[in-house]
Amino acid sequence: MAKVIELDNLLVRLGGRVILDRLAASLSGKCIGLLGPNGSGKSTLINTMLGFYPPEGGTLRIFGKDVQRNLRELRAQIGYMPESDAFIADMTGVRFVRYMAEISGLPSREAMERAHEAFFYVGLGEARYRKVGTYSLGMKQLAKLAQAIVHGPRLLLLDEPTNGLDPEARQRMLHLVREIRDTGEVNLLISSHLLRDIEECCDEVIILKEGRIAAVCNLEEERKANLKFLELEVTQGNGFLESVRALGCECASFGAGTLKVVLPDNIEVRQLYRLAAEHSVQIRRMNYRRDSLEDIFLKAMSGGATTTAAPPPPPPRSVHGSL
Amino acid sequence: MAVYKRTYKAYRGPLTPAWSRFMVLSRYGFSTLFESRPFTAYVVLCMLPFLVGLVFIYVVHSTAIQSLLNVRFGRTPLINNFWFLAFLSFEAWMGFLLTAWAAPGMISKDFANQSVQLYLSRPLSRAEYLLGKVSVMAGLLSCTTWIPALILFFVQAQLEGHGWGWDNLWLAGSIFIGAMMWIALISLLAMALAVWVRWRIAATALMMAIFFVLPGFGVVVNAILRTRWGSLLNLSYLITNVWWHLFRIPVADGPTDRLTRLGQVPLWAAWGTLLAVCALCVWVLNRKLKAREVVRG
Repeated sequence: MAKVIELDNLLVRLGGRVILDRLAASLSGKCIGLLGPNGSGKSTLINTMLGFYPPEGGTLRIFGKDVQRNLRELRAQIGYMPESDAFIADMTGVRFVRYMAEISGLPSREAMERAHEAFFYVGLGEARYRKVGTYSLGMKQLAKLAQAIVHGPRLLLLDEPTNGLDPEARQRMLHLVREIRDTGEVNLLISSHLLRDIEECCDEVIILKEGRIAAVCNLEEERKANLKFLELEVTQGNGFLESVRALGCECASFGAGTLKVVLPDNIEVRQLYRLAAEHSVQIRRMNYRRDSLEDIFLKAMSGGATTTAAPPPPPPRSVHGSL
Repeated sequence: MAVYKRTYKAYRGPLTPAWSRFMVLSRYGFSTLFESRPFTAYVVLCMLPFLVGLVFIYVVHSTAIQSLLNVRFGRTPLINNFWFLAFLSFEAWMGFLLTAWAAPGMISKDFANQSVQLYLSRPLSRAEYLLGKVSVMAGLLSCTTWIPALILFFVQAQLEGHGWGWDNLWLAGSIFIGAMMWIALISLLAMALAVWVRWRIAATALMMAIFFVLPGFGVVVNAILRTRWGSLLNLSYLITNVWWHLFRIPVADGPTDRLTRLGQVPLWAAWGTLLAVCALCVWVLNRKLKAREVVRG
């Protein structure tokens, strides 16, 4: 699969502080999620992709082209939906989007046509002649999406697209994002701190923590592998964990008696019951479940998965590898 | 992406040349300004001196009209360098008000709406963004200063005949250079102030203060320090010095009072200060015009 974004020891320093600390990853997903807590560097990474911040070290390539050297060419291929309110308040919606399309290089007539189409596409067709300043928050988000897609970009950067939206508007936005993704004509990078949004749309995730890559996870591979594991809740028992490992299972303890166990094909659940009986351990709960993005995220935040970060190409089940 | 289908589709049509993108900003800038009726009325008002000048030149050269109006101008050359300087000065100050009114809003609105990042995330550099904005003011001011002045010059040359145009060709150059200096000064100053304070009203107030309050400080500096260099704080005084020189009018013919007497500062100092102000504005624009503000600390 063609590389979309390549980070090679990317170092960005702003106001004397290191914001992005030698990021190295190679991302090729159709829809890439950019996760991390506030202040982790998500927006800085997006701004660096747009050339707003020059890297102090390393390189950042989009579609194989260095951002600093091919800024103009890349900007023509990027659609950007910023996190904050960004529009021209005293313009009508359709004029605003047409204006943005013309700056991107569309001739006036085509820009007008595409602006109307983009407005209908995002569902604001009826409000396109209203001034943007009079739009509700949800409408402004959709107008921002319309201006980002109007020139038909190859890469769409969405910074917190569902910020401040009510559940219905959020679903509508996510539906649009999935629909754009499924056309196959555009790659998306979605920055968010809402795990469900990322999980619903993305096939690859990069998690940032304090300016460093905490984890890179190919969700699509995860889904394909359909790796199931057991989540056990047991009473404390000496030697039970070691015995399970001795069976050949990958096993991790999360404290308070919670264990996660990956069963190899030749091991059956009844063998766990036998081991529990041998060690006088009560199994109080046993669930089959897959790692959710939340698990991956929490593990990355707790520092458990930092070593799995991003050697290109990202290995499948990279996060589980630390179990 | 057809409306009836309502599905996303990439654009594969023709694109405009990259060099011409700044003109999109100019076009929308003009369009937005002329949506305001008071602004349109003021621009029309700025054209009135041109019409008056045109009629005056015609009357001066038409004995039939003079006899009809029962006036006689005699043989004194009325349309000369002093006449063109007076015309340009009047139009320049009309243009100053036009700039103070319109220019700050063109940029401060973008900052207020945080839309600078939308412009700069597209294939448009900061220089092109500025060029697009400045060209609106440059276009408007050109239409009210050197273009009508040059039209009057050529009308005068045509009606006067006898090689008047050829003999006074330097005057056309003076009109152009003098007006361009003024346009560059007030356009850049208005833009830089708008980018700096990011508030239209404050930027307009600062612009007025620079031209009408700062000269007062210059007078105080001159009085206290018993110097003449305080006049460098008076931009309108400096540009007047430059204009008088460009139009080859002896400064002795100018104002005689101590405050506004021309030639108190050397010509090189006047040119140098005006160019330094322009350079300072460019520096401010380069420092402050960014898609994202970096907070230090």
